[in-house]
Amino acid sequence: MAKKIQLADLESGMVIVKPVTMKNGMVILGEGVTLTPAWVERLQDMDIDGVYIDAPKEQQLTKEEAIVKLNARFEPVADRPYMNRLKKILADHIEDLYEK
Amino acid sequence: MKSETVINVRKSKVENISALPTVPGNLKRISAIIEKPRVTLDEIGRFVASDPALASKVLKMVNSAMYGFPGRITAVSYAVMLLGLNVVKGLLLGISVFEIMEKTMRGLWAHSVGCAVAARCIAEKKGIKDPEEFSIAGLLHDLGKVILMLEYQNEYEKAMEIAANDKIPIFKAEVEIFSNGHAEVAMWLMEKWRFPRNLVEVIAYHHRPSLSKIAPLETAIIHVADIIVRARGAGFAGDYFVPELNTQALDLLSLSDADIKDILLRIDDATDAIYDSAD
Repeated sequence: MAKKIQLADLESGMVIVKPVTMKNGMVILGEGVTLTPAWVERLQDMDIDGVYIDAPKEQQLTKEEAIVKLNARFEPVADRPYMNRLKKILADHIEDLYEK
Repeated sequence: MKSETVINVRKSKVENISALPTVPGNLKRISAIIEKPRVTLDEIGRFVASDPALASKVLKMVNSAMYGFPGRITAVSYAVMLLGLNVVKGLLLGISVFEIMEKTMRGLWAHSVGCAVAARCIAEKKGIKDPEEFSIAGLLHDLGKVILMLEYQNEYEKAMEIAANDKIPIFKAEVEIFSNGHAEVAMWLMEKWRFPRNLVEVIAYHHRPSLSKIAPLETAIIHVADIIVRARGAGFAGDYFVPELNTQALDLLSLSDADIKDILLRIDDATDAIYDSAD
């Protein structure tokens, strides 16, 4: 999962998962690049928003909370087959999020 | 539970957006430019380029997850030329309503961004050319709620209460209080801003896609995108329950489970980025 890191927390070895851009949109580093110590230093001097690296995303809710909320929002349509299919896909998606 | 007096939302009042005291200045300025009958891409490009803060916001949005050009566009003139008139107009509107959206209904921006990426993703999967137009439709589809909240805050909050208590979607609760709901209000504005008819229909009928005469597929896309975002629980659009999918719309799109999972990942990426971002 893509996680946004502030410049101050950059470390060598981190893998970029989204192109690093300057605030004006210009691309500096493409995705898939592993940061070297030299790059970390260089980036920290630049005017960029933050860098997206590959790391498990901290979720704000626990998995149980997320499922409870999912069931709650589907409650009025719980008996419709089309909606159940959608709900099942959401449940799978939520399961996947907490797998990592 | 029907209210004794239904608020008569007047089309002429909504269209005369520059006269509404509650509407912020930057939205009025953008509105004035994009509603001009024969405004050219060139004029709009110059308008944007003349305001560095606006230019920077345009580029940031163009390079964001909502569009397919991550980090590749650096010049406003190029962005404007690449995206075309409708998308640029929509982008400017998106920028000017962002703050007011969050002020009137917290979470509406996240919902709208989620819908923008979901719609774009579906459009790509269906092989539609100009998928960026779907980003715009997704981003602006709930603009009507902002206008209704600005002009009739107490009454709209009442509608939200009804939606919560009766466990119905907000668009159904609205008609208990207002003569015209958010989809129609947005339709009036999209017409005033001279968006093409298919984009107008998409926004007008996103809750009732079978009513679209000229753009059934496009309307189905926004309809389904909206519901997928609500199913995910990303952001807040005035109610707490997932509305029923229009089965014809869903069938028209024939999305697989894998497609929908893909869309969910994109929604998460885009909406997580909102909360990560400092501004």
